[in-house]
Amino acid sequence: MDNENNTTMNGTDDRHESAATAPAAESAPAAQNAAPKLPIEKLSARQLLELDACTRCGECSNWCPAYDQDNREPLTPRGRATQFRDIIRRQYGAFSAESFLGKLLGKKQVSAQELSGFAKDLYACSTCMQCHFVCPVAIDTVELWERIRECIVDTGFGPLPTQQDLVLKTKNYDNPWGQPRSSRARWGKVAKKKKRINEVPKDISKDKADVLYFVGCTASYDTNVEEVGINTVNIFEAAGVDYGILGNKEKCCGSVLLRMGDAASFKRICTENIEQFNALGASTLVTSCAGCLKTIKEDYARHGKLNFEIKHTLEYVIDLIKAGRLKLTQPLNMKVTYHDPCHLGRHAGIFDAPRELLSLIPGIEFVEMERNRENSRCCGAGGGLKSGYPDMQNQISQKRVKDAVQTGATELVSGCPFCYQGLQIGIQAMDAPIKMRDITELVCMAMGLAPATHEDTEDAEE
Amino acid sequence: MGETTRMYLYFEATAALYTVTVIAVLLCIAGILTTLALWRQGKARSLHRTLNSAAVARSFITDVVFQAQILKISFVRWLMHFCIFIGFMGLLAQTSLMAFISHFSAPESFLAQSFFHGGGSRVLDVWGDVFGLTMLFGLAIAIIRRYVVRTRQLETIAKDTTSLVLLTAIGLSGFICEAFRLMDPQYADVAWYSFAGMTLSQLLQAAGIGAASYTAWVWSHAVISFIFIAFIPFSKAWHIFVSPIEIVLDASERA
Ligand code: HEM
Ligand code: SF4
Ligand code: SF4
Repeated sequence: MDNENNTTMNGTDDRHESAATAPAAESAPAAQNAAPKLPIEKLSARQLLELDACTRCGECSNWCPAYDQDNREPLTPRGRATQFRDIIRRQYGAFSAESFLGKLLGKKQVSAQELSGFAKDLYACSTCMQCHFVCPVAIDTVELWERIRECIVDTGFGPLPTQQDLVLKTKNYDNPWGQPRSSRARWGKVAKKKKRINEVPKDISKDKADVLYFVGCTASYDTNVEEVGINTVNIFEAAGVDYGILGNKEKCCGSVLLRMGDAASFKRICTENIEQFNALGASTLVTSCAGCLKTIKEDYARHGKLNFEIKHTLEYVIDLIKAGRLKLTQPLNMKVTYHDPCHLGRHAGIFDAPRELLSLIPGIEFVEMERNRENSRCCGAGGGLKSGYPDMQNQISQKRVKDAVQTGATELVSGCPFCYQGLQIGIQAMDAPIKMRDITELVCMAMGLAPATHEDTEDAEE
Repeated sequence: MGETTRMYLYFEATAALYTVTVIAVLLCIAGILTTLALWRQGKARSLHRTLNSAAVARSFITDVVFQAQILKISFVRWLMHFCIFIGFMGLLAQTSLMAFISHFSAPESFLAQSFFHGGGSRVLDVWGDVFGLTMLFGLAIAIIRRYVVRTRQLETIAKDTTSLVLLTAIGLSGFICEAFRLMDPQYADVAWYSFAGMTLSQLLQAAGIGAASYTAWVWSHAVISFIFIAFIPFSKAWHIFVSPIEIVLDASERA
């Protein structure tokens, strides 16, 4: 097995050991042997064309957060496209290693070792989509990486061991944290007990409501970010929103599976979710998580029809304010900067709404980081990078926190529990003089409600 | 120039030259077909929306023709590429026009008369030199960025070098051919329309180099050009066709 460039993965390479996530894992070939043929039918003709469209200009390498930490060419989108193109051309077509012409030209077979190395580098990517936005030929990079990951999963070379755990748990427990389904809605009950919310959110599957609040796995299970759910509930209550949650019946949106290349499992969970959501008869699904939003709004739409609108909490809050149902009256004398979550900004195109919402909060002095909107620097948490390469994620996060600190802001605001987690890692590592806040926290404060904050949660635990 | 001799641009159309052309074009087509066959193995959906022709047209103009997206990043890179792009297209148009007229219109027709002997040929003389110089200027920037300055973002593999070397060789050998051709007294009256070629011609003559190797240079120029053509689908030149497709498809999908 190739352990040479395996520096950030705890030195292990037992990729094939946790079999359940990798269909071909049991029969995965020894590294020295020829690699199995990659199922390129999983890609589209356009994606195969994209491999040829790369002009190797290297603009992507100037921006890629992973390459910024680990300066190796295979980590750049250019390197990845070049290498994958070379691999499939040695496996398929008139010049493959097995063809007459290929043999004549001395083309080498793709070895399992080579594919294994490629897979490791393929997963050193947060799917942040920065490369697409700077690519002069507009290659749809992340979509391409995800389909290539699908080929890699199919042949048993991915995901990486630490990521397999995440995938396995999502499949077995419907959440990537491996928590029991029965405790998904616990946060609401605990919050009610501690008087942090007035009522436990109602079960929308039993009692119909206009709005489905899709809490998401991170806000549901991670006590460090449970204030996202609590604040959202308090905003909804104050504005008199007719809403409900799925409680223990809520399942992961499947983002983890899709980003990691387990398309079959994603399809299953996506189909089940679409069926469950559509049956509720809600007019709007609101979520506080950028990853869930991107997945449900963009990816689900490719698998089925959704009979409701999908909004991020911050978009929905703007609607409430405009309808006069919510008033932000308490000035918050704070200097605030905003981090665009990759899956909310670049992936879903929501750049203006968070800025509009912040402008509606009185007393806030808003400052942009130098890299914002389309060029917002990724926090490194997405795409399996945090689980696959935690050290790298930590470094990437610290860079983003540095961007924020440089603005002189005291609050770093975002709209995604996963970014919250990701950036918090950087803040803690640097002991940075800036406070991480979900945007709902500021809304609560401006409404004159006591916001649930990260500290509250910590206090409550003590 | 005998009126009855079929010409291949400025050169006598020999069977050998035709044969090499045909082989190069066939290899290019074969390469394109194998690539298309590979693309066709991709079975997932390529487009998730119906083609948005307004977005396609808009991005074609801004990002394919004018390449505003490169200009936004760097003027030098834009200038480099725009010169290579426009220079190459200009030369291609000129060569194609002349090849077309040589082969498809009668020698005494207006087109042939004009473009081989009359006003049309003077336009082409200037045209060829302007676009040839433009392309070489762009290539010079590319070569300096890649091999002299060694811009950090560039990582060079054989494919990058081959494309630059071939294009530069096409441009330079073209000018050398022109310079030797202009040494023939029959062009004396009109030689300065080819201002760059004529300057080179005079420099060569001053250095005591005569037109003896003209045929060899024409062959070299032709062979290098044919190698470039034959390898289009396997080389970086393939992006000339493929990158625009990706640019407009993406614009349509995101419109
Ligand atoms: C028609 C649309 C075309 C598009 C969208 C396009 C796009 C690009 C892009 C984005 C680059 C990278 C530039 C950089 O590094 O800053 C590039 C490089 C290059 N293009 Fe094009 N191109 C096109 C046509 C052409 C044509 C007609 C030629 C002429 C042969 C050409 C020759 C080159 C060469 C030689 C390079 C490499 C420069 C280097 O690597 O140093 N391109 N192209
Ligand atoms: S998506 Fe982000 S991390 Fe992945 S290759 Fe592109 S820029 Fe790098
Ligand atoms: S920016 Fe796009 S064209 Fe340039 S090297 Fe990266 S992927 Fe290739």
